[in-house]
Amino acid sequence: MIQAPPAPSPFDLSSCDKEPIRFPGSIQPHGFLLCLSPARRIVQASDNLAAHAGVAATAAIGGTLEAVIGAAAAEMLLAELDQDRLGERPAYLATVQLPNDSWFDVLGHAFDGLVLLEFETIARTAAATFRDLFPLVGEFMQQLPAAPSVEAMSQTAARQIRKLTGFGRVMVYQFDRDGHGHVIAESRDADHPSYLGQRFPGTDIPRQARELYTINRIRLIQDANYTPSRLVPETNPLTGKPNDLSFAALRSVSPIHLQYMRNMDTLASMSVSIIVKGQLWGLISCHHAAPRPLEFDKRSACEQLGQVLSLCIESREDADDLQFRLDLRRIMVSMLAGLTHGADFIDNMSQVFPELLRFARAGGAAIVVDDRLIRFGNAPDEAQIRALVDWLGVNSHDDLFHTDHLSAAYPPAAEYVSNASGLLAMPISRIHKHYLLWFRPEVVHTIDWAGNPHEKDGAQNLRAQLTPRTSFASWRETIHGTSVPWRSGELELAIEFRSALLGIALERAEQMAELADELGRANKELEAFSYSVSHDLRAPLRHIVGFSNLLMESDSDPQTRQRFLANIKDSARLAGKLVDDLLSFSQMGRAALRPVAVDMADLVQGCIDKLAGEVGERKVEWRIGELPVIQADPTFLQLAVYNLLANAVKFTGQQELAIISVDASVMDTQTVFRVADNGAGFNMDYVHKLFGVFQRLHRMEDFQGTGIGLANVRRIVERHGGRVWAESAPGEGATFYFSIPNELDS
Amino acid sequence: MLKPILLVEDNPHDLELTLIALSRSQLANEVIIARDGAEALDYLTCRGPYAKRQAGNPAVVLLDLKLPKVDGLEVLKSIRSTDGLKSTPVVMLTSSKEEQDLLRSYELGVNAYVVKPVDFTEFVRAIADLGIFWAVLNEPPPGSARYVRPPK
Repeated sequence: MIQAPPAPSPFDLSSCDKEPIRFPGSIQPHGFLLCLSPARRIVQASDNLAAHAGVAATAAIGGTLEAVIGAAAAEMLLAELDQDRLGERPAYLATVQLPNDSWFDVLGHAFDGLVLLEFETIARTAAATFRDLFPLVGEFMQQLPAAPSVEAMSQTAARQIRKLTGFGRVMVYQFDRDGHGHVIAESRDADHPSYLGQRFPGTDIPRQARELYTINRIRLIQDANYTPSRLVPETNPLTGKPNDLSFAALRSVSPIHLQYMRNMDTLASMSVSIIVKGQLWGLISCHHAAPRPLEFDKRSACEQLGQVLSLCIESREDADDLQFRLDLRRIMVSMLAGLTHGADFIDNMSQVFPELLRFARAGGAAIVVDDRLIRFGNAPDEAQIRALVDWLGVNSHDDLFHTDHLSAAYPPAAEYVSNASGLLAMPISRIHKHYLLWFRPEVVHTIDWAGNPHEKDGAQNLRAQLTPRTSFASWRETIHGTSVPWRSGELELAIEFRSALLGIALERAEQMAELADELGRANKELEAFSYSVSHDLRAPLRHIVGFSNLLMESDSDPQTRQRFLANIKDSARLAGKLVDDLLSFSQMGRAALRPVAVDMADLVQGCIDKLAGEVGERKVEWRIGELPVIQADPTFLQLAVYNLLANAVKFTGQQELAIISVDASVMDTQTVFRVADNGAGFNMDYVHKLFGVFQRLHRMEDFQGTGIGLANVRRIVERHGGRVWAESAPGEGATFYFSIPNELDS
Repeated sequence: MLKPILLVEDNPHDLELTLIALSRSQLANEVIIARDGAEALDYLTCRGPYAKRQAGNPAVVLLDLKLPKVDGLEVLKSIRSTDGLKSTPVVMLTSSKEEQDLLRSYELGVNAYVVKPVDFTEFVRAIADLGIFWAVLNEPPPGSARYVRPPK
C-alpha cells in the first residue's frame, strides 16, 4: 500500500527532538536520589541531599546508607533490597523516617548496574496504604465498558482521576495520525479554563518524549518553578556516562517544557500514557495552576486507571473496527455476486456502482479500462481522470494508492478538490493501466488550535525556536482540500476486493480461452467446409465428366457402358448429397436451438420409418429399449439420431441379420443414449477421426457416405451441451453414445 | 524386370478411371492397388497380407491424398521415415488444389504433386505422363532393391 506523503508540517520545532530528556543529569527537588553500587555503597547522590537529610552529597559518596538515613531506615530498606525484586520500574519499598524527623516514601529500581533509591517527601507519617484505592479502580472498571463511546470512556476517566488527584483540570488527549493531540474529554474546576475540543500541535510533544511516554507511563511535575538538583558525581561511576533516568519518578524535565507550563499558567502537571496496541494512543493530562504534590500510591492508582482505559479503548476500537469490516464485507460480497452475472466485466461493474460507492464511503467512482472510462457520482471529468491515471501509472506501483489530500500529492487535482480531495486508486490489471478509482469529496473543517501553531514557524531565529509558544488562546484554522481519511479496514478490504476481482477476471479469461477453443474449432470446420467444396465436390464432377467421355467412345461393350452409366448416376447422386450435407452442416452452426419436450421413443420410431428405403429387403432387427422424454431441439436431434441409425444400417450391410439396438439411461444431470450394431465396426486407433468433418474410416465402395454425418451428430449433441463418443472393434460391431443434459442452458 | 507401380486409391470411380488411363499409356508395369493408407503401408513394409511378397520397392507410389484410416500425408510421412523406403518416389495424386495440402506434401518430401484434371482427356494424359516419367524415364535411386516379377 502506498500512502501519499503528508504535506510538510508547518509546525516544526525540530531542535526539541534532540534534547536528551532521558539524561537530564538532575532531578526534581521534592525528593532526593541515592544510587547504590552492587556492594550497597552510595556511589551517587543528588546535591539536595543536604537539604533533605542534612548530609552533603559529596560526604555521602562511598559511604553506607546508614550513614545518611540512619540505622532504622537503612535496615528497613536493605531488608527490602535483600529480597532482590527490583526491576526497571520503580517499586515502592517502604516509608521511612529519617533521623531529622522527615518522612519519605522510598521507590527503588535497578538500572545500568545501579540501584536507584528515590526518596519522595510526603505529608504522611505512616506507610502508604493502597487499600482505599482498590474500590476506586473497581468502580472505574465497572463504569468503563458501559460507556457508549471512546469519548464517554475518556470522560469517565478524566472525572475519576480528577476526583482521585484533586488536579484542577484533567484532559484526555488523543493523538491523530500526524501526531497532533486532540482534547476529547475534560474534567475541570471553575478556576481552570477549558481546552475541550482543542488541538495541540504534534511538536508540543517531541519525538523522544513520546518514546518515553510509551515506556514509562506516568510522569509528575510537582512545581514548574523548581530548581533542579544535580547529581554528584555527574555521571554514573560504573559506566562513566550520564545516568539514564527514564524510569526515575523524580527525573528532571526539559526547561522548555517548564516554560511551556508556565506559559500555560500550569505549575503542576501529571501525564498518564494511554497505550493502545503498543502505540502511544493518547495521554491523560492533569494540570493544576498551583504546585501540587501527588504521592506514589495515588499515582499508582492513576497509572492503573490509565491501563484500564487503554484496554477498554483497545477493545472498543477492535469491536468498532470489526463491525466496520463486517459491514464492508457484506457490501463487498453483494458486489461480487453482482459482478459474476453478465459477460462484460465493465458493464457488471457499472451495475454495482451504488454498492461501490457505499463500500468506499465515496462520492464518486470511475473505471478505466483501455479506451473505456465510466464515471459515476461525484467524479472529476473524463480528461481529468485520464490525466490522473497517467500520473498514477508513473507514480504508484503497488496494490493500492490512497490519499485524503490528493492536491498535495498531485497539484492538478486542486481543480477538482470539491469532488476528489480523497482518492483510493486500485489497479485492476497487473500489466495495463486499468484502474478502479474512488473519490471522496472535500470536507472543509475547522481546527481549534490551542494557540496558533504557525507562530512557531521557522522564520524565527534559533533562540526563539527553542522558546515554547506563549499563547494558548484558541486559534481557529480552516482546512481545505482534504477528505475524510481512509480507514485501515477500508484499505484492507479494498485489497481483498481487488484479489477477488482479479480472480473473477482470471476466471473470465479462462472462459475466453474456452470460447477461443470453440471458435478455433468452428474455424477449422469452416476450413474443412471450403476444403471439401474444392476437394470432395470436384471428385464426383470429375467422375461424371470421365465416365461420360468413356461412354461417348463407341468401342466399349454394352455391359461396360451400363457400368459407366451407373457410375455417372452414382456420382451425381453423391454430389447432390454432399451439397445437402454441407448445407445442413453449415446451418447447424448458425440456427438457434429451440428446445422442447421430446419423446425419444417417438423420435427414434420416426427415424426407423424414414430408414425403410435404405433398409430395403435386408433383415434388420430393431431392439428399442424404454426411452425417456427429454428437453431438446426436436428437428436437430432427429437429424442426429437419424444419422446414427443410418450409420448402423450402413455398417451392418454385410450381415445376414442386422441387429440394431437403441436404449437410454437417465442419470442425475444427463441422459445417455446408446446406439449399438453388430456391423463391421472400426479400429479404435482411428476413433479420433470418427466425428471429424469429411473423415471416412471405410473405403468408398464398401460404405457410401459423404463423411459429414457423424460430424453433424457431434455438432448437434454439443450444441445441446452433451458429448458423443464411440466404442468398437473391427468385426465386432460398433456402439455410439451421446449424452444430453437434463437441464439445458439456453 | 520392370518395377510395379503402387496405386493407392479408395474411390472406386477414381480407381477405374486411373487404371483406364494407365492402360492407355501402354506401360508394361504391374499396378499394385492399395485401397487405403494402411494397406499401402502393409504392402510397402511387407506386412500382414503382403508378408510373403517378393522383396523390393515400387517404381513409384501414386498416392491419393484423402484416404480412409491413414491418409495420404501420413503414408508419405511414414515412407520418408522408414529406412529402405525413404527414397522411393511418391507422387501425390489428388483432387485438392488447397495450398496447405501442397505445402504439407512438399514439406514431407513428396516428389510430385498432381491435381487430377476434371477434363477426362487431360486426366488420361496426366496419368500417362506420370507413369512414363516415373516408371520408365526416371532412374530409380541407387541401392533400391531390384524388383523381380513374381512367377505367375
